[in-house]
Amino acid sequence: MKGMNTIMKILVNFASGFIGLFKSGASTFIDWMSSIVPLVLLLLVLMNAIISLIGEEKMNKFARFSAKNPFTRYLVLPFVAAFMLGNPMAHSMGKFLPEYYKPSYYASAAQFCHTSNGLFPHINPAELFIWQGIAQGVSKLGLNTTELAIRYLLVGLVMNFIGGWITDYTTKFVCKSTGIQLSKTVDLK
Amino acid sequence: MEFHSVKVVKGTGGWGGPLVITPTETRNKILYVTGGNRPEIVDKLVKLTGMKAVDGFKTSIPDEEIAVAIVDCGGTLRCGIYPKKHIKTINVLPTGKSGPLAEYIVPELYVSNVGVNQISLADEAEAASETHADAETENTEPEEKFDTSKTITQQQKTGFIGKIGVGVGKVVATFNQAAKQAVNTVLTTIIPFMAFVSLIIGIINGSGIGKVFAKVMTPLAGNIWGLLLLGFICSLPFLSPLLGPGAVIGQIIGTLIGVEIGKGNIAPQYALPALFAINTQNGCDFIPVGLGLMEAKPETVEVGVTSVLYSRFINGVPRVFVAWLASFGLYSGK
Repeated sequence: MKGMNTIMKILVNFASGFIGLFKSGASTFIDWMSSIVPLVLLLLVLMNAIISLIGEEKMNKFARFSAKNPFTRYLVLPFVAAFMLGNPMAHSMGKFLPEYYKPSYYASAAQFCHTSNGLFPHINPAELFIWQGIAQGVSKLGLNTTELAIRYLLVGLVMNFIGGWITDYTTKFVCKSTGIQLSKTVDLK
Repeated sequence: MEFHSVKVVKGTGGWGGPLVITPTETRNKILYVTGGNRPEIVDKLVKLTGMKAVDGFKTSIPDEEIAVAIVDCGGTLRCGIYPKKHIKTINVLPTGKSGPLAEYIVPELYVSNVGVNQISLADEAEAASETHADAETENTEPEEKFDTSKTITQQQKTGFIGKIGVGVGKVVATFNQAAKQAVNTVLTTIIPFMAFVSLIIGIINGSGIGKVFAKVMTPLAGNIWGLLLLGFICSLPFLSPLLGPGAVIGQIIGTLIGVEIGKGNIAPQYALPALFAINTQNGCDFIPVGLGLMEAKPETVEVGVTSVLYSRFINGVPRVFVAWLASFGLYSGK
């Protein structure tokens, strides 16, 4: 009888431990559902509306204008494109650049789809947890995540620009070693 | 060269399909965008159909030549890119209709969790109905153009009859559409990922694994040297394309670090450099597709993939370092 009891005890412990895993996960889930979800949802509504009111045509014009120098090409354009078009369509703005600069624009734009995501989650909702995963720990401590989001964005502005610019040089290097020539002027179709 | 049609059905737990793929004189290439490795199904498709396979990671081909695209996207983006261009897509992973391009993922163009056993030669009746389906897809395109022109006429209408009324109507309709889109995004991408991550957190916190992770994560993410090392590893050019897909790995590592910050094992100041350290591989799996969106030439893709992998490597560790410098004073004295 005593043996029976011990076995039952082990079984009960095991079962409650097992369900405990899900209870712990469920409380995290419902916490996020009531805090992150409504916030992100309403932000998405506003951003989607703004974007469709401004329209694609204006964005194209802006992209053509920005192709001229590294500063607008790897800082202003990818930042605005990420904000307006989100991931992955932000990359499509690269079609207005000369072939040689497309990889650099890609390098920069892909990073802007993350570094601005803390303040503007509409940019890349599918990969939100790069930001949110870390930010949820910070907010658990009762700290304001906006402070972190702003620094994330600012460091991103500087370093994504540098990243795009560095790619100009790696492209030069790869062109040299493979013997492929890429045009530095825009093809007029 | 003689071409044959094949039929592709979804695997267990997969989504979409069945697709019938019929090579034609112009559309006769298999494009695989799978981070540089070649899935087995590529060889089977080549053997059955007689088409040529092209590694999208090394070069690119005009969209009009692609008969079928093969992706290995567990996350989000690549699943929808080719269906959006009306190109039939096979995913070797079981991803369903999700991601920012979910609306383009339809069973007529997309099938997932496909292995070699899901591919077979199509009989003639199926091949015939496939050409019919092709005609249908082409029919939808002018419709889309019609839609766009409709928006323009709507905009032009504002000239005469009470600009304000039309303006208000347009704003309301725009917001309503924006809300629909937003709810859709939250339902199809954010909430599923939250459920997945919550379960992982539950298992980690509720079981003993959490303590092991804490032991590994705290020294790695709790000081600048560990974070620099993490950033260095993620940016290695031979690893970075493999770490990329759907940013899933980065998101999980981020969540693990977040859990430790929440527990007080890692100082919140390190959240900033950590955000950069877990993501030095940012977009390395996606280079050919991203360049494709820019309508880049094949030789640009060839150069671009290598070039971006190098620049991510050069730029990776400095990013983490600068973020660390910028983190001074963050959450201090709280």
